[in-house]
Amino acid sequence: MKVNLEYLEGKLESLDGEELMKIKDNINCLFQHCIQALGEEHPIRVVNALQTLCALIRGVHQKNKSTSGFDIINMLMGFDKAELCMKNLMESLDSLLCAEGSESLKSLCLKLLLCLVTVTDNISQNTILEYVMINSIFEAILQILSHPPSRREHGYDAVVLLALLVNYRKYESVNPYIVKLSIVDDEATLNGMGLVIAQALSEYNRQYKDKEEEHQSGFFSALTNMVGSMFIADAHEKISVQTNEAILLALYEAVHLNRNFITVLAQSHPEMGLVTTPVSPAPTTPVTPLGTTPPSSDVISSVELPLDADVQTSNLLITFLKYSSIVMQDTKDEHRLHSGKLCLIILTCIAEPMRHRKKAADKNLPCRPLVCAVLDLMVEFIVTHMMKEFPMDLYIRCIQVVHKLLCYQKKCRVRLHYTWRELWSALINLLKFLMSNETVLLAKHNIFTLALMIVNLFNMFITYGDTFLPTPSSYDELYYEIIRMHQSFDNLYSMVLRLSTNAGQWKEAASKVTHALVNIRAIINHFNPKIESYAAVNHISQLSEEQVLEVVRANYDTLTLKLQDGLDQYERYSEQHKEAAFFKELVRSISTNVRRNLAFHTLSQEVLLKEFSTIS
Amino acid sequence: MKFPHLEARSLAVAMGDTVVETAPLKPTSEPTSGPPGNNGGSLLSVITEGVGELSVIDPEVAQKACQEVLEKVKLLHGGVAVSSRGTPLELVNGDGVDSEIRCLDDPPAQIREEEDEMGAAVASGTAKGARRRRQNNSAKQSWLLRLFESKLFDISMAISYLYNSKEPGVQAYIGNRLFCFRNEDVDFYLPQLLNMYIHMDEDVGDAIKPYIVHRCRQSINFSLQCALLLGAYSSDMHISTQRHSRGTKLRKLILSDELKPAHRKRELPSLSPAPDTGLSPSKRTHQRSKSDATASISLSSNLKRTASNPKVENEDEELSSSTESIDNSFSSPVRLAPEREFIKSLMAIGKRLATLPTKEQKTQRLISELSLLNHKLPARVWLPTAGFDHHVVRVPHTQAVVLNSKDKAPYLIYVEVLECENFDTTSVPARIPENRIRSTRSVENLPECGITHEQRAGSFSTVPNYDNDDEAWSVDDIGELQVELPEVHTNSCDNISQFSVDSITSQESKEPVFIAAGDIRRRLSEQLAHTPTAFKRDPEDPSAVALKEPWQEKVRRIREGSPYGHLPNWRLLSVIVKCGDDLRQELLAFQVLKQLQSIWEQERVPLWIKPYKILVISADSGMIEPVVNAVSIHQVKKQSQLSLLDYFLQEHGSYTTEAFLSAQRNFVQSCAGYCLVCYLLQVKDRHNGNILLDAEGHIIHIDFGFILSSSPRNLGFETSAFKLTTEFVDVMGGLDGDMFNYYKMLMLQGLIAARKHMDKVVQIVEIMQQGSQLPCFHGSSTIRNLKERFHMSMTEEQLQLLVEQMVDGSMRSITTKLYDGFQYLTNGIM
Repeated sequence: MKVNLEYLEGKLESLDGEELMKIKDNINCLFQHCIQALGEEHPIRVVNALQTLCALIRGVHQKNKSTSGFDIINMLMGFDKAELCMKNLMESLDSLLCAEGSESLKSLCLKLLLCLVTVTDNISQNTILEYVMINSIFEAILQILSHPPSRREHGYDAVVLLALLVNYRKYESVNPYIVKLSIVDDEATLNGMGLVIAQALSEYNRQYKDKEEEHQSGFFSALTNMVGSMFIADAHEKISVQTNEAILLALYEAVHLNRNFITVLAQSHPEMGLVTTPVSPAPTTPVTPLGTTPPSSDVISSVELPLDADVQTSNLLITFLKYSSIVMQDTKDEHRLHSGKLCLIILTCIAEPMRHRKKAADKNLPCRPLVCAVLDLMVEFIVTHMMKEFPMDLYIRCIQVVHKLLCYQKKCRVRLHYTWRELWSALINLLKFLMSNETVLLAKHNIFTLALMIVNLFNMFITYGDTFLPTPSSYDELYYEIIRMHQSFDNLYSMVLRLSTNAGQWKEAASKVTHALVNIRAIINHFNPKIESYAAVNHISQLSEEQVLEVVRANYDTLTLKLQDGLDQYERYSEQHKEAAFFKELVRSISTNVRRNLAFHTLSQEVLLKEFSTIS
Repeated sequence: MKFPHLEARSLAVAMGDTVVETAPLKPTSEPTSGPPGNNGGSLLSVITEGVGELSVIDPEVAQKACQEVLEKVKLLHGGVAVSSRGTPLELVNGDGVDSEIRCLDDPPAQIREEEDEMGAAVASGTAKGARRRRQNNSAKQSWLLRLFESKLFDISMAISYLYNSKEPGVQAYIGNRLFCFRNEDVDFYLPQLLNMYIHMDEDVGDAIKPYIVHRCRQSINFSLQCALLLGAYSSDMHISTQRHSRGTKLRKLILSDELKPAHRKRELPSLSPAPDTGLSPSKRTHQRSKSDATASISLSSNLKRTASNPKVENEDEELSSSTESIDNSFSSPVRLAPEREFIKSLMAIGKRLATLPTKEQKTQRLISELSLLNHKLPARVWLPTAGFDHHVVRVPHTQAVVLNSKDKAPYLIYVEVLECENFDTTSVPARIPENRIRSTRSVENLPECGITHEQRAGSFSTVPNYDNDDEAWSVDDIGELQVELPEVHTNSCDNISQFSVDSITSQESKEPVFIAAGDIRRRLSEQLAHTPTAFKRDPEDPSAVALKEPWQEKVRRIREGSPYGHLPNWRLLSVIVKCGDDLRQELLAFQVLKQLQSIWEQERVPLWIKPYKILVISADSGMIEPVVNAVSIHQVKKQSQLSLLDYFLQEHGSYTTEAFLSAQRNFVQSCAGYCLVCYLLQVKDRHNGNILLDAEGHIIHIDFGFILSSSPRNLGFETSAFKLTTEFVDVMGGLDGDMFNYYKMLMLQGLIAARKHMDKVVQIVEIMQQGSQLPCFHGSSTIRNLKERFHMSMTEEQLQLLVEQMVDGSMRSITTKLYDGFQYLTNGIM
């Protein structure tokens, strides 16, 4: 018999609190029956039970938005039986998800779980989830992700579910999902997770590209090379495609919690979404208990990549960077601002040196290392967001990412063949922007923190350039750039000097910048007279770059610099102290979103019923 | 069972004259029914007589006798069975048999049977002749037998007789003798053996087959090599004949996996000899001891496995499910399947790469393809080019490079393997996940979970928060995390500038410390100057950088990054995968080079050449063992922009340094070696892209695509004997230098030594010509011309003159220069 879900849900909604209390016993009974039915052999009964449960949970919650979680539990199952009830429910769901059963049935199970997780706006107030914590379905989720067929079908739901579960009371209590996620080291599973995320992100990228192509007459549509193409410079028209915060959150949690996941970022996979029939390249390794290694397969199966010469191979990080560049184009809309911020947070996590190990090995990649692409993205961000609605927070994060990358390079002596000049001039332009909008910006932000960070980036180059610059001439170029743009630094100096001598609120912040500028000023003061006299001696009014560099090279030895402390130290990223509020809000918005989408999906299960009616 | 080999042997010897009338002409099916009673008695008496009289064998007598036989060999060659010196030496004859019996104390059972045949055949061939002639014949036969049984009789001679003899008996005898040679020695001639098997008449094939089958049973690697070679060398046959040819049948037999190791586990516990399956003639050869040893090894490992895993017990039922038979070669249905799959996927990658237009795309594709391949490793697969038993565990995919080739996509991969004692019996190593950075916390180490479950269940109490990063990682990480903190800084003492910073912070002095900008700049240029020998990355030539990196350094680097690197039996191998190229000529060249190398070693001529291993997979694919620590002269010149001499000076030091002098000596010795190789084999297409220079100064010629009768596009270029450019001579110290004279002297000595053993070299080539369509055998005079280049008739003075002329000719050769120019224009090779 088919369940009339609309009726059931509607009926529950129409009842007010007291009426509902009256039928509590009925609901309890129904709930229990449903859970029992989950163990039935006949799939239709299972389907009906799952859908009824969905409706019950939803209906009861909608009616009792304000009531506490305990009351809801009581309403659904009754306090006395709740524990056993939920245990049975979770066990049934677990076995349904892990069994070799119908895919649509599994899908429905995941929907029920998503429904359960998202019934409240604030996930941490959803008390029922305590039972989901106790009766973990983590392994079931992992199994879905590690099997290519099930991953293709349910990967997205599984990843979103996991991301949400991880966020349940993450700051207040021990969330077993956090613990478990942090120790996953099964390659197949992690790759599976990475693939799902990559697929979702590249789908977004593809949609964006399609829209953009519609908008453009074709002049700038050439997306030629993989890395070079990811920055779409002209932000003239906002082509809005709904960003996918849930997937970004999943990526964040994976990167933040699981240090093994970092290798997945660089794992190559064919560009998803471009392939019409996605053939999943990931291996079919049986899932084994955590901590043990899967038995190696003796027979090498000939799984092949989809063969198409113009399918570019990509990896999660590249896909993510493309995605970020699109998202960051326009940060006015709040959703996109959030997404952009999350992107930068993820980059911050990736950039922390302890997670870099893999990248160090990557310096032998045939093409440009991925770090260069990250730096490109940061430079791009810096030059394109100098606007009135100044995204100070994003800028700080962006500079932090660059700083962390530099610290890593210095520590590990990685010499990137990167054109640092672009970064330098972007940073100087940013300083210029800060100064010219001093009054407007100061009303809202402490611009000195940002200025200090920028100046210290230069100090990194000046004092530690020997450890990570690619060539001696790049060190010369650094000096050339500083000297060329000395006006900006002079202006900055006079501004901070002015504010630090005043007894205003910025006194301390500004004086820090004053001190940080000491070496840059020393360079300017040392070389400028030399250059002038060189010009005078040689009777040249305007020196060429080569001539300036010559003067620079000739006069290094008479320049003394001051060593500054702590240039290569930074605050480690910590979610709880800084970002808790942000994530709370983010999860709330994701919950709402998922719930809204579910409402549409869960109820249209006719296909499913058809499938099983033929069996019966 | 007893094996009366004494009788058998004597039967064969004596048959020619005494037994022929009574012995059956056809071999009987039952092996023991050979000697009829009365004859047996007389034969035995011959033997006992021999033993009695000559219980102590005089080796000199034996040797002398053998040498006489050697002289007679030529007579036999032509098949002319008339001998003027028909002196029967029955005593010595008996002696020879005796000594043979002693050295081979347990000859194969088959021998007996085959010798019946041999004797019978000899007899039948000569029975019609006069009694006198028969005696001559038998004497000659005896001579030959004595040769075969002498210590001088080596594998090279065996192959030669197998090829040249028209007597089925002789062939069958040699077929049996193969069992007595060391495996490695026979392995060298495997291409020859198999080519004979495929392309020569029935008798040769029948003589070879038992040995091949026996070895296939013993070794999976041997099985693979045979299957591949049989396939490759059958490919020149017409398709219709090929299908039913002997070679194809044997190949199918090997691939069908009927030739599994003979010792099956049911029999193992008793350690009794395996039941005779009928196909293996060699069960009781003296090699049995060896297989027994391996059997006992497998026994112990199997016992262990059974003890720990009860599932594996009923092994004899064919376990088809791969999960159960994963590391059990005995029960897996087709034991060659994983390896063939492995090779197939490597080839498939090559084919796909060829469709991509640019090097950069190819490299990228290669890396991602390999990373996928990695997911299926470790597995029961191995690299056939390696010299030891191992399992492949990982392909460090980011290290792979695409090699320079115009239209095909050969690529070089590095392969991490774990060495093992026996490929068949050692279980496949367990997979260690790529991303496991260090042993992460396992579930057991998280007691908090369990506790909190109960806490939760009881009351929804809040427990201390978990998302504290320092807690989320294992303890051993914390030390590392704090690298950022100043106190730990002093640990990373490699950084000078960091040092100075640390000293300030630790002293907490507020006094400013000053540094000179010039110092920073200087350090930067100094540090960069310390790594001058690395090549710059060039997207058009991705292999240059990879090949330039010293092998040891590469091994260390890859080992560090590998999850398997900590294992003591970890090894790094490399291999070039060639798809779309016929490597059969390369294999031939390898064999000739190897032969020349051992000849020169034997004759103590310090010529240096480097044969590199070749695996022929099919007529258009294969693998090559790369020469490590070597880059092509083209790459050297392009990257360094120096002349060869200047490059030597840069790499090894100035003229008088020890390093330079030894590099120069290496250069000269290798030059002389390869000049001879090029001359003898007529190696063409000698441009700088095909000549490597290794880190010790040796040159190494690669790419033997044009040898003997073939030359590129037949443009008539490269008429000189070998490539000797002025640049080479400059490195040698100029035309008047001592080293140049040394070079010529080495060439002369090398040529004389090679001439002495010409047969050993020619034989390799000659046998491979059978049934071959390879371009190097084009025309009818390939072998004759090859022989002529050894100048057997010349005196040493004449040879010296010849060397002078060749050197002179090559120096003045305008064609070499022209050819280089041609290569530069067409292929961009400097």
